[in-house]
Amino acid sequence: MPAQPNGKPPLAWMFVFRGALPRGVRFAAGAGTALLVLALWSMAAPLGWISPIFLPSPLGVLTALWTMVTQNNLLTNAGISIARVWVAFLLSAIMAIPIGILMSSYRIFGSALEPLIDFIRYLPVPALVPLSIIWLGIGEETKIFLLWLGTFFQLVLLVAEDMKRVPQEYFEIAYTLGAKPRAALTSVALRAMLPSLVDNLRITLGWCWTYLIIAEIVAADNGLGFVIWTARRYMQTDQVMAGVFVIGFIGLATDQALRLLHRRLFRYL
Amino acid sequence: MTAPVPYLQFDAVTKQFSGLHVVASPFNLVVPRRQFVAFLGPSGCGKTTLMRMVGGLDTPSTGGIRLEGAPVGGPDRRRGMVFQSYSSFPWLTVEQNIMFGMKYRRDMLAAEKHERAMHYLKLVGLQDFGASYPNRISGGMRQRVAIARTLAAGSEILLMDEPFGALDAQLREELQVELRRIQAEDAKTIIFVTHDVEEAVFLADRVIVFSPRPTVIRADIDITATLGKSRDLAMRDSTEFFRLRTEILHMLRDAHRAAS
Repeated sequence: MPAQPNGKPPLAWMFVFRGALPRGVRFAAGAGTALLVLALWSMAAPLGWISPIFLPSPLGVLTALWTMVTQNNLLTNAGISIARVWVAFLLSAIMAIPIGILMSSYRIFGSALEPLIDFIRYLPVPALVPLSIIWLGIGEETKIFLLWLGTFFQLVLLVAEDMKRVPQEYFEIAYTLGAKPRAALTSVALRAMLPSLVDNLRITLGWCWTYLIIAEIVAADNGLGFVIWTARRYMQTDQVMAGVFVIGFIGLATDQALRLLHRRLFRYL
Repeated sequence: MTAPVPYLQFDAVTKQFSGLHVVASPFNLVVPRRQFVAFLGPSGCGKTTLMRMVGGLDTPSTGGIRLEGAPVGGPDRRRGMVFQSYSSFPWLTVEQNIMFGMKYRRDMLAAEKHERAMHYLKLVGLQDFGASYPNRISGGMRQRVAIARTLAAGSEILLMDEPFGALDAQLREELQVELRRIQAEDAKTIIFVTHDVEEAVFLADRVIVFSPRPTVIRADIDITATLGKSRDLAMRDSTEFFRLRTEILHMLRDAHRAAS
């Protein structure tokens, strides 16, 4: 390797342990990896590495996507899935936020609920599919129930933890300024925990998508999970992949939007 | 003849916390109005607990704290706290933080509160930083915010728990001079907890030196008698300052040796 004037091999600056890297280089590295994967994927079938039945080309997936949008009501199905995710997510959040706060504000609630929640939290959602079908049938209730099951019990503990991490000093400052406990909770504690709460809600929303697909595969006649599962039945790999990518894009877009919101709301961090 | 009612009185205070004697033998102390008292001692000597009791944030197991003869209950505006960390709210600007001090006052109009906030913003020298968030200003400025907020709230007693403990030496000196000036302008009673001997001597009218466990007063030193009321940085090089500092250091060392 040609030595540079300072004796270090070229590009050594890119590989400094825990070192800094210019923004442009970081972006190029990310884009480069993505393009490389895309290139390998495009070449795999034409070069005969793999049959296009198993791995259709990127263009093939895009074409399938277009067909699905124009002829197979993909957008309607995506809308149905998004609606299910949000209904279940909001239901989880509306229940988990007050209960979580209560659990860390009063020991009695924490002690009473934590063992139960910890137990349910470890039950795998897919294992509860049969039970929820027996209980609730295959209507919307089952899907919402499964999503709620997968997120509520996790979220409630995250909320309790967020509340617990509010420094005791904040409460004591409020008290010595004349605040009553209820005022300290609403104008100080809730405000103090808000950034981490929004972060946890964002992460939980991501989990909702995982459980949604499980729910839609086993018990649905619409939604993205159903679309993917139907395409599999006819070996339409391109449509299966297109469906998966749509979920990926919705997830990415929601996540980025919530991150942006987080940065906007919490500029003071 | 009846003796005048003491301003702030620790009356045979003890504290046990889950079987542990934080303040074992009854603690007695009288603090006159507008006195700047430093509680000086090693960590775990009970000085912070005693100060928190004045604020109503801890309760004595036996005995009591009296303010102008009346036993103190839970926390209220009369007794304000300034902590070492988390001393201001990060989601509020400097001005909003100071305004928060008056949030629960019903006896003032909004315009009055604003005017008062401006006054204290200026008093602590932050008039140019009113719109900044705490993460944009230095640690020293953040402590000024906390002091201004507590003063704006109308507290008559400032309880300060090692408020300058996290600052570097230069900033610390600067804040000490400032605090002394602020107290001269807006006379308050201050209980200042620290384990820094020089800080205690430089700031306080009176230094209470604590022994580590059991919590007893090792010495009660009148600093003002030696150094006078007004303090400046040059004083730190004076022989009187040096003598007081050395005397107290030796006391702490002896107490430490006796305890271990």
